[in-house]
Amino acid sequence: MTKEAENAVEVEKLAKRYGDLLAVNDLSFNVRKGEVFALLGPNGAGKTTTVEIIDTIRTPTSGKVSLLGMDVTKKKHDIVPRIGVLPQGFSSFDRITVRETIQYYSRLFCCRNTDVDGLIDLVNLKDKAQEQYKNLSGGLKQRLGIAIALVNDPEVVFLDEPTTGLDPRARREVWKVLLGLKKKGKTVFLTTHYMEEAELLADRVAIIAKGKIIAMDSPAELIEGNVNYMVLTLQSVDEKVFEIVRKMRFEPVYDNHRNIKVRLENTDDVQKILNAVKEGGASFLGLDVRKPNLEGVFLKLTGETLREDPAGERGAE
Amino acid sequence: MNLRVVGANLVVSIKSFYRDKTVVFFRIAFPVILILVFGTIFMERDNEIFDLDVQDLDQTKSSVQIAEAIGVSGRFKITQVAPALNAAQYAKDNKRNLVLIIPKGCEDSLRRRMGLDDPHASVTLTEIHDPSSFGVTTKMQVLNLVLAGINQEMSGKPPFIKSAETSILAKKYRFIEFFVPGIIAMAVMTASLLGAVNVNAELRQKGVLRKLSTTPITRTDWILSNILYQFILAVLSTTVMLLVSYGVFHISLEINAWLPVFVALAVFAFVGLGMVLTRVAKEAESAAAAADALMFPMMFLSGTFFPVEMMPEFLQKFAKVLPLYYVNEGLRAAMVSADNMAALRYAAVIGIFAAVVFVLGIMTTTLSEEAT
Repeated sequence: MTKEAENAVEVEKLAKRYGDLLAVNDLSFNVRKGEVFALLGPNGAGKTTTVEIIDTIRTPTSGKVSLLGMDVTKKKHDIVPRIGVLPQGFSSFDRITVRETIQYYSRLFCCRNTDVDGLIDLVNLKDKAQEQYKNLSGGLKQRLGIAIALVNDPEVVFLDEPTTGLDPRARREVWKVLLGLKKKGKTVFLTTHYMEEAELLADRVAIIAKGKIIAMDSPAELIEGNVNYMVLTLQSVDEKVFEIVRKMRFEPVYDNHRNIKVRLENTDDVQKILNAVKEGGASFLGLDVRKPNLEGVFLKLTGETLREDPAGERGAE
Repeated sequence: MNLRVVGANLVVSIKSFYRDKTVVFFRIAFPVILILVFGTIFMERDNEIFDLDVQDLDQTKSSVQIAEAIGVSGRFKITQVAPALNAAQYAKDNKRNLVLIIPKGCEDSLRRRMGLDDPHASVTLTEIHDPSSFGVTTKMQVLNLVLAGINQEMSGKPPFIKSAETSILAKKYRFIEFFVPGIIAMAVMTASLLGAVNVNAELRQKGVLRKLSTTPITRTDWILSNILYQFILAVLSTTVMLLVSYGVFHISLEINAWLPVFVALAVFAFVGLGMVLTRVAKEAESAAAAADALMFPMMFLSGTFFPVEMMPEFLQKFAKVLPLYYVNEGLRAAMVSADNMAALRYAAVIGIFAAVVFVLGIMTTTLSEEAT
């Protein structure tokens, strides 16, 4: 099998400069065919710039980007018919219905066999097929955007922040659609600043910060390799519990709800703490043991939290 | 160029158009309203009967006959002003722009002239007028012509110098026939320029063009579909304007192949100009402002509402660098004077301009984000 056949995307020493700002700095990574690859990072990390260079919207300052074996700066016309793109902040023609919009984009790709009804079903917009774009909610618009990205049955689908700005319910609806794409074996290149989105959908995640990739692996490997602790939460505790745990040489802290949180490196420690609390005659209403997630990975690698910034959600990267 | 892509864009543009009732109204009804309003104003002027207030201070049989003679001319409807009133104050209070005063002693002077054959006997009628009033000059000119006619009549001899009018045009044309081609040109210009600027700036700002840049559509496909769309709307609005003009004002214009030629050239020229503007001014608001800054001078200085010859010489020279001037003059050459050679000359000028801005439009238009 050739290298091009294995990798849908190959990025080598990619850099992009806007005036004095170096938005993307010496990025190198590959995306394998058939995998869901997520570029995870906070706003302004360089995710959109990177994806827009790969999907031919922007041009790089330096470096080499190959998509489906073709140089993106030289073969745009050959690449475009083979990819599908949901750009950041997707928008369409206000007074055109869902069905007409899909038909329109299908005609742009000169596709004669687009299954318009199938796409409408895939993104669960059957009830809204005759609705004009301007009357759709944010989540429905994003789902239409995904359907449009699929009109030409692309080999690679680029989804730039597909759930940014959506409420949790709409976000889950979009995730369902993306999981459907994953099942179909599509190569998906996803950018997001939601760690749970990357964890749920991606086969591999690249964490990007300040224009550089700082870690790349499967979500499980990233967590395993970078964070080796768990967090025990004891809910609605009486004050004796805090003292009991502290005397065991752990470092308990109160959270905003007066729950006690304890960072543990060994699963046996959970039982030890529960036994000590019971023996000490203290009580609690519930407990929760959590493995760390990509948030923890990001925190460890950058010293910063990866949190949603509503004010900058749609900001340029 | 891909016709299937151009066709797909055209369908989306037309659907977006007819589903937006406000756009339909302004695109179709606005030029029609202009034609109806200006047409009505100027049609009235062609056969206008002026109101004239006459103050007879002589109150004699002769002075009454003079006032009656003015009324009999058919150009004035006479209203008598009481002799005791101050005529100037009366004009101000009643918003009259012209009051004619027949002085005391009018009959005596007439008797001396007619009975005693005294050549020095005369009467001076005073015209009290408001110079700031639109149209008072025309009214005074007509009044003086009527008075000259009465003088001639009283002399009992036929005039020595007579004049005969021969039009350079085959038919007798009225102002409305001058006006309609100008309004067609103006409507095509505003719709094409603003249409291209507004739609493209809005689509760019909303990110629709960024999405389109990830499809196989090319800049040429995009501009051509914009031009075709504007041409279809221009043909529609021109047809409606002509139907209204024929139906309401019974206009008499030559409708020939030049009309669609000039409409097409104007659409090409102004959509191309709009595309260039959209590239230069990236925000929708600044692009619209730039379009307005181009449109308004063209509208008023290119001979749309009145002939360029009425303007000072330097403005006439300026008018000749404006593309709308050549559309106006070309349409009038084709529709009013049926002068094919003149129409060809104007078509050549606007054609060259259209070709240049079309190529510039293609060169400067970009669907991708990089150029914004």
